[in-house]
Amino acid sequence: MTFIWRGLRQAWHLIVTGDPNLRHLTWITLDVAIVATVVAVAIGLPLGLALGLGRFRGRQAGIILANAGLGLPPVMVGLILALLMFPAAPLGRFHLLFTLHGVYIAQSLLSFPIIVALSCSAVRAVPPGLIEQARAFDAGRLQIWALAVREARVGILTAVIAAVGSALSEVGAVVLVGGNIYGNDQTLASATIFAVDQAQFGYAMAIGIILLGLILVVAAVLTLIQQGSGHRVRIRPPS
Amino acid sequence: MSTPIAAPRPLLRVTSVGVRRGGAVILHEVSLDVAPGEVLAVLGPNGAGKSTLLAAMGGGLKPSTGGIERSGRVATAMQSPDLARRSARANVEVALAWWGVPRRERRDRAAEALAAMHADHLADRPTVAMSGGERRRVHIARALALRPDVLLLDEPFAGLDGVSRGALLDDTASALRGGAGAVVFVVHDRAEAWALANRLVVLIEGRVAAEGPPREVLEAPPSAQVARFLGFTGELRDGAEIVLTRSSQVQLDPQGEITATVVRLIPLEDGARAELETPTGHLSAMVGYPGPNVGDAVRVRVETSVRFPLDHQYGEARG
Repeated sequence: MTFIWRGLRQAWHLIVTGDPNLRHLTWITLDVAIVATVVAVAIGLPLGLALGLGRFRGRQAGIILANAGLGLPPVMVGLILALLMFPAAPLGRFHLLFTLHGVYIAQSLLSFPIIVALSCSAVRAVPPGLIEQARAFDAGRLQIWALAVREARVGILTAVIAAVGSALSEVGAVVLVGGNIYGNDQTLASATIFAVDQAQFGYAMAIGIILLGLILVVAAVLTLIQQGSGHRVRIRPPS
Repeated sequence: MSTPIAAPRPLLRVTSVGVRRGGAVILHEVSLDVAPGEVLAVLGPNGAGKSTLLAAMGGGLKPSTGGIERSGRVATAMQSPDLARRSARANVEVALAWWGVPRRERRDRAAEALAAMHADHLADRPTVAMSGGERRRVHIARALALRPDVLLLDEPFAGLDGVSRGALLDDTASALRGGAGAVVFVVHDRAEAWALANRLVVLIEGRVAAEGPPREVLEAPPSAQVARFLGFTGELRDGAEIVLTRSSQVQLDPQGEITATVVRLIPLEDGARAELETPTGHLSAMVGYPGPNVGDAVRVRVETSVRFPLDHQYGEARG
């Protein structure tokens, strides 16, 4: 209990004093989460829509792969990427190892299947009759996708919340690819590991508490957006 | 010398269309034309191939044989009134966007179509807060707003209660009469066909069994099979012929030439339908309150009927 209490006091102190180290870690964490989620949405959402709405060979296999990707071990992703990014490896010439760009790639790869699998599942829940009706009224593919995204927006925002949550709290791949270098690519989650290694348990608790608070705030904002775009029904009485 | 007037070019021409599904033949050699301004009802029992024909006409299903020529744009309103979780107006406007209508025209066209279907009061209401009948109104309004050359409606009144169906039928009839294009709709309820259509196609077992203006088809069905489907439920044998009657054509009359026994009474809103056994077959007749009782001997008069030669081999009417 002492560590928790000390951690809470230290977290409060770091926040109210605007600790520059903490601010930097928070900024890197948000930066990684935002870039990884944007990249995952940009590539994963069209793929999720194609898997959810399309009629092509291999679709079922694609859905199975996307769902399997939800259980992708971050450490394995980090290890494989790190090996690929070694100087003599295929990605070596891009100098990505132990850089923030490498961390972006690792985290995007981890967020990608979350977006694909959950957005696919969300658009598959849209009534098929509505999609068929749009086709019968000559809607183009992009118009049908826009319709499906709008109808499945609650589920798609759930996918985004899950991806952001994963990006904020991910450690394994970030440490392996980024090297956990303070001031370069260290995030709140990986800094917690570093603090524990240094036996700075109070500081580790403080960072952990701040990380939890950050996840709560980001999730709350996204949830409010999600609920605001949901199915609230307002019926005005006839005048 | 008079110049012959050319018949208007059909908007849709179905030529010898056949459709197979899973080894079963759903449509056999169906041919029909749809002319501008026509309101055509495709009527038939369940499994007759009506929706399959509509899907082929709309381009959603490729025929196995034959061909379909379209000389205009065809829009299909599916059977299920699935609407986006938005307001009624937004649903109509987005359909207009799909159809390629410029943004500046959408609002007025949506308002006009909703008004035509007496759904203007629903314009701002989210569809999740609508009843089944209201959703149907918006669904039909959405299709009417497109103003396609040919509008295909698949069971537009399915799943509605009697009151909602009657009101929607009246409003749809008015709205369809105002259109310049053609309308083809699939129904299995005869009353809907009489109320809306100026031409009728009866589809039975995937074949066109009758075609023509509804009154003509009803007065002179081309076969016993069509007659039975159209409500000719009474059946008497008269030598080498079979006589088919509708219940509205049979009257209880003490001076009537046919003796019968009441075997069943089915209560209806304004009386009852009496099922009658006669020495040569069975009839049904509409009777008022207080009507006869089951087991009573009555005399009946058949006002009009249709006759078909009897197929002796099978004891069935030919045709």
